Amino acid sequence: MSFFLEQVDSLGRVVTKNIEYTLRVLLMVYLSIRAAIVDQAQGMRTIFGVVSAQIYFTGWQAMPLISVLAIAAGGVVILQSSSNLTLLGGTEMIGNLLVVIIVRELGPLLTALVVIARSGTAVASEVGNMRANREIEALESLGINPLSFIVFPRIIGGVISVVCLSLYFILIALLGGFVVTKLLHDMPFNFYVDSLTRAVAAEDLGLFLLKNSFSGMIIFVVSCYQGLSVKRSPTEVPIVTTQAVVKSIIYVIVFNLSVTTLFYLNQLVKLGVL
Amino acid sequence: MDHSMLPKIHSLKFEQMSFQYEGAQVPLFDHVDFDFPMGKFVWVKAASGSGRSTLLQLLAGLQMPTSGKYLINDQDVTEMTFEEFLPYRLAMGYGFDFGGLIHNGTLHENLMLPLMYHKMLSFNEAKARVDRYMNQMNISRYENQRPSLVQGGVRKIVCMLRALILHPQVVLLDDPSVGLGQEMILRYFDIIHSLRNQGLLQHVFISSFDEKMMSLLDHTEIWLDTGKLFNTAVSDEKKVVSL
Repeated sequence: MSFFLEQVDSLGRVVTKNIEYTLRVLLMVYLSIRAAIVDQAQGMRTIFGVVSAQIYFTGWQAMPLISVLAIAAGGVVILQSSSNLTLLGGTEMIGNLLVVIIVRELGPLLTALVVIARSGTAVASEVGNMRANREIEALESLGINPLSFIVFPRIIGGVISVVCLSLYFILIALLGGFVVTKLLHDMPFNFYVDSLTRAVAAEDLGLFLLKNSFSGMIIFVVSCYQGLSVKRSPTEVPIVTTQAVVKSIIYVIVFNLSVTTLFYLNQLVKLGVL
Repeated sequence: MDHSMLPKIHSLKFEQMSFQYEGAQVPLFDHVDFDFPMGKFVWVKAASGSGRSTLLQLLAGLQMPTSGKYLINDQDVTEMTFEEFLPYRLAMGYGFDFGGLIHNGTLHENLMLPLMYHKMLSFNEAKARVDRYMNQMNISRYENQRPSLVQGGVRKIVCMLRALILHPQVVLLDDPSVGLGQEMILRYFDIIHSLRNQGLLQHVFISSFDEKMMSLLDHTEIWLDTGKLFNTAVSDEKKVVSL
């Protein structure tokens, strides 16, 4: 019995700790948005400079890696699904399958993972080093709010980058995947495009924007939060960077899974199954 | 923001102010009541590790008291938001003992940042001010270098110059002479004297062990000992200020 209670206690502590962490992160989002609105000095020009730099590093520089990943993912998914659908006699369903796998699931998730690996780490270590080098303290002493100067533009830049990269991933996966498949299977392009356009629904756009914008926000908010949690020592920087990666991955996966679950439950309700 | 919009700072006070670092066993400051001398060079004296840097950080609003009040012009800073404290902050300059420069900007950009961010001056006026001070300190040749590419003394002096760049009324200098040659120190204090003569800079707080430097300044002293502040030296037996 005591063992059981210990396990419940331990679980309770983990849940409480995570809820507290989530609330702290959400508070930082609120404070950074508030600071950006209230800060009279910080003009659009300053924000635009940091946002565009963030888009360049997170979005533009990630495009080669995203291209390779998209072609590989698209090729594999199209090859596997077209060969299996041919066996089952449902080749015209390829569009539906690709929309479900690539547009709704793989695109947002793989893009988020690439951004976490490239930019989440970079932001966490950059902000962490700024903390260790007393740059954050210096900004405060100069009357510059680090939340509006450092955090807010990175979140905006990150959200824009993730949305654009995910769209790019989906386009490359669908087009590049088709080209790869074309080398092995004979599939007419018109048939492929027609199948895809029939499968894409208006709600896919909502799902795409919801998943990607929130994933982008989660990654950059968690990374900034972890970076700012450095107290003084540079030895804390690699620790918080690792934590930023782990926490971002968990939060993004949990978020994507929750959205997908709610989406399909809603579909089932619409169909009258539930 | 214009200089004329900033409040005139005429008093800095602690009321029952305590401060303790997270995880520390004892408070660094313990229910301190103190009215800081104003309009002078004030030398903060204390034994090493007594909290001199923390005191200056508290005065600059970079640390907040754990309890009690920190009053500027009789207004409690601990109850102010970042935005409410901003006008006071812009009237204060803080010179770090180490670090504090923005590493992804050049030395020139570091000095331009507060002027441009707060739109205190036009670009040309800001550039002229920064160029003038860099020339005065003879560091213009480093203006396009990033902080990590120059020697420690240059980093230090840029950090100290940045504390003066907004022409503050109060300047808080944490170990200003560490890492600097005598010539640099003299040039720096020439700028401070010039700002004081123009009536721009009024209150200078310096934490330092450098008696030679301080002997060049007409200063008053305050003592920090066992978490309290004093206007006069503490008892000889305790020898708290064996500087």
